[in-house]
Amino acid sequence: MGSPETDRITPLEQAEQIILRWDSSKPHMIFNSDNRHDIDNYLSAVDLIQQSTNGKIAENNGQSTKVNTLVQIAMARLEDEFRNILISHTTLEFDSVNLLTESDEDSVNSNGSRISRNICEFDVIPKDHINDLRLIAKRMMMSGYFRECVQVYGGVRKIKLDTIFKKLGVEKLSLDDVQRLDWESLNAKISKYIKAVKICVRILFASKKRLCVQIFENLGYEGDEDAGDVCFMETVKSAAISLFDFAEAISISSRSPEKLFKIVDLHDTFIDLLPDIEDVFCSKSSESIRVQASEISSRLAEAARGMLYEFENSVLREPSRVLVPGGTIHPLTRYVMNYITLISNYKQTLGELIVSKPVTDSRYSDDLTMPDMDFGDHEGQSPLALHLIWIIVILQFNLDGKSKHYKDNALAYLFFMNNVHYIVQKVKGSPELREMIGDSFLKELTAKITQASTRYQRATWVGVLYCLRDEGLHATGSFSSGVPRNALRERFKSFNAMFEEVHKMQTLWSIPDTQLREEIQISISEKVIPAYRSFLGRFRTHIENGKHPEYYIKYSVEDLETAVLDFFEGCAVSQLSRRRSL
Amino acid sequence: MPPTDNQGSFLNRISIRRNQVVYEQEVEDLEQFQKHVADRLSELFHPPEDTNSSDPPETLLSIAWFRKLLDVFLCCEAEFKAVVIMGRDANNFVKSPLDRLIPEHLDRTVKALDICTAIIHGIDLLLHWKKLAQIAVDSLQKKPIGEGDVKRAKKALNTLLSSITIDDKEKSAENHHHSTKSGASSKDHTTIGNLRSLSYSFARSWSASKQIQAMSSNLTAPRGGEPTGLVVPVYLMSSVLVFVMWAMVSAIPCQERTGLGAHLQLSKQFTWAQPMIGLQEKIGEDWKKKEKKGRSGLLDETQRLENLGLSLVEFADGFSFPVEAEKAEEVAAMVAEMAEICGRMDEGLGALQMQVRELFNRIVRSRAETLDVLDHVNKVTTPVPY
Repeated sequence: MGSPETDRITPLEQAEQIILRWDSSKPHMIFNSDNRHDIDNYLSAVDLIQQSTNGKIAENNGQSTKVNTLVQIAMARLEDEFRNILISHTTLEFDSVNLLTESDEDSVNSNGSRISRNICEFDVIPKDHINDLRLIAKRMMMSGYFRECVQVYGGVRKIKLDTIFKKLGVEKLSLDDVQRLDWESLNAKISKYIKAVKICVRILFASKKRLCVQIFENLGYEGDEDAGDVCFMETVKSAAISLFDFAEAISISSRSPEKLFKIVDLHDTFIDLLPDIEDVFCSKSSESIRVQASEISSRLAEAARGMLYEFENSVLREPSRVLVPGGTIHPLTRYVMNYITLISNYKQTLGELIVSKPVTDSRYSDDLTMPDMDFGDHEGQSPLALHLIWIIVILQFNLDGKSKHYKDNALAYLFFMNNVHYIVQKVKGSPELREMIGDSFLKELTAKITQASTRYQRATWVGVLYCLRDEGLHATGSFSSGVPRNALRERFKSFNAMFEEVHKMQTLWSIPDTQLREEIQISISEKVIPAYRSFLGRFRTHIENGKHPEYYIKYSVEDLETAVLDFFEGCAVSQLSRRRSL
Repeated sequence: MPPTDNQGSFLNRISIRRNQVVYEQEVEDLEQFQKHVADRLSELFHPPEDTNSSDPPETLLSIAWFRKLLDVFLCCEAEFKAVVIMGRDANNFVKSPLDRLIPEHLDRTVKALDICTAIIHGIDLLLHWKKLAQIAVDSLQKKPIGEGDVKRAKKALNTLLSSITIDDKEKSAENHHHSTKSGASSKDHTTIGNLRSLSYSFARSWSASKQIQAMSSNLTAPRGGEPTGLVVPVYLMSSVLVFVMWAMVSAIPCQERTGLGAHLQLSKQFTWAQPMIGLQEKIGEDWKKKEKKGRSGLLDETQRLENLGLSLVEFADGFSFPVEAEKAEEVAAMVAEMAEICGRMDEGLGALQMQVRELFNRIVRSRAETLDVLDHVNKVTTPVPY
């Protein structure tokens, strides 16, 4: 207890003095000093002033107006203090997020703690300072200055959020911009975005929310909404909308098939994130964000379906007439088979998205060039599987059309055989794909290979073998009569010429698959060699008895056997070697 | 008529007659469409005198008015799609001039979608202003008004007024620089500028004004005499689309709106254009006047907030306790008006935001459907990229 004079100051007057001492013109911050005493004093002063306003409302005198002024001065000061603490102590967040962008975002940083499922949060502001913020917020709320508090909070945090967004590579692209981007750039941006959006929802937003809760918990309500929620939405709402805008733009942009898998990835990301979004944006005022997120998911799903449909259509209509040399594998075949193998890898998501059967009637009503397909034989297979089967059907259909541009029928069949064989190999090479296509369809395809091979052989070799037929060359009775030597010579000559022609041409043709090539070669040999051997056996003496037998019997059986091995090399081989042994 | 041809020409005549009937029906549908649009627009722009007292009066360019405008647009759009796109022989779309006009229209819809996005962000800024105004209202509704209350209101109003009148282009460059400095020196001013630029939905190079300009630059009135009768409806729809976007951008804060006033020119030759032209002239003039003072936009509520804000700040500057009765009444009236505007903004902005979102969704869907029809008819397929 001091002297009566100095102690005449009431606690209220003391409080006034403290508050006036710290009006807005003073540049230093109360909360910056290590002196807890100053801070406590100030806060007590504020409380006192606040209490004294109760009961003085109706009084229209100088005292109440002074108090009124003091409250405002105190609140203005507290506003600045609040802002200052927020600004000075949020650098931690930055670096933590930096770490994450480099490492696997699913691992939990040592600063974080798990709350629910995947949501991982950060202590972005040290506990002491959070406490201080709480102390300030409480006073502001009690004096009815909550709105100012929210504005300050939101103002500072939004700026930080914006900076973090930039670091994460979240870009603000308009739909116009997105439409103009080439696929490679867009692809890269989507990948980056997928990482960023996961971090934003699960880490950033969640930690912002936690912070709001920590600061404003139990401090009261604004209207019918919890104070923490209001603050959170103030900070995050427009950022969240901006974030989703990019995904929205992607879901609206043009539907080219090459985008399919990226779109599915993005779709999966959003579906995964929906529960987290519901968690973080659970208040009534954030309904529009939840709605937007789920709208985006639906649009992405629709886009994916549209792309698959577009793909099927483009395969069917692919118009190129450029002939692949030697009847080898067409790039379309490779592309389509790679594409559907990828689809089978994505069968989990795509299986859920694709729920209707392929459209097998013509998209262009007056266009009759469509393959026939009855899905009756494929009951019990998923719609996605039916689509894959359908794609193979239309691929074949297209290839068949392309094959008809080859001038040589035999080459056309070879081409078709090669490509269907490739299809079958690819199916067998992927367990998922094989399982979806099913063995019965596979059998059908294999049968087509055999059919094409048979047609090829017939087209090429019937004529050649015709030269070796018995008809018209029967020896009746003795040697010297019956076998027309000239006719025989003609036969040998034709055979040689035809075989040489075939050899010249068909060494340039191609059967890329080694096993298939061998099979075909063996099959040819089995037809040609025995026929030649027996022809030679029967008639060589007749030729050798005449002049220049070497003009007619040019090749030994071994020569021919070797020659067959040249076929389908895909490149020119040296001319057929003459007989070495006869 | 040669006797042998009797049967043939009779059938011919029937089918010609049937085609004629169908044709006439189509022509009538198109005319009805134009009439409906004209009616709805003129009702909107010259509202009947006897409105319900419970509905807020639809002052031009107020929130309520915009909600009606968007409603009208959605109706027109639905009818357009049904009558012009879906119910037609799509082969018309691949012939000149529709083969050029429809893709141009679709291009406009892309820009319109971006504008919708920007508007949604802009509405957030409006909500922010409302909150600031609300602070002022709450403090000035205390009885009696104390010095503290006045200071508080003045602070909020100053923030509000700065935000409303900030010149986006010049100040934002400065503020960006300021924001990199940390520390307690960050003023409200900096924060305001930053907050304004944070509400930008797109990269700095995007300009609402340029988008509108691009949308309207190739919007030329058709010369008529075109057989399908579809060219005018397409022009109509495009015009209405551009007009609605232009009106919204002029009223609601949006990124980069220099020169907006001059960017829409509608042809006077059509009846349905008349109401729009009247309004276009008014908006154009008002825009020019306001452009010098900053670009808050022409939304009725914003204008009134600005005016009231200025008056109340004046009051606050000259304030001394206690306030004389007459002055107190004056102020009370102004505050009451501001409170009413806040109430209206509270009610209307959320709904408006949802409507813009609905508009966005509708445009997306119609666009996709139109593209489908076009692809169908063009027998277009995407090339396989092997």
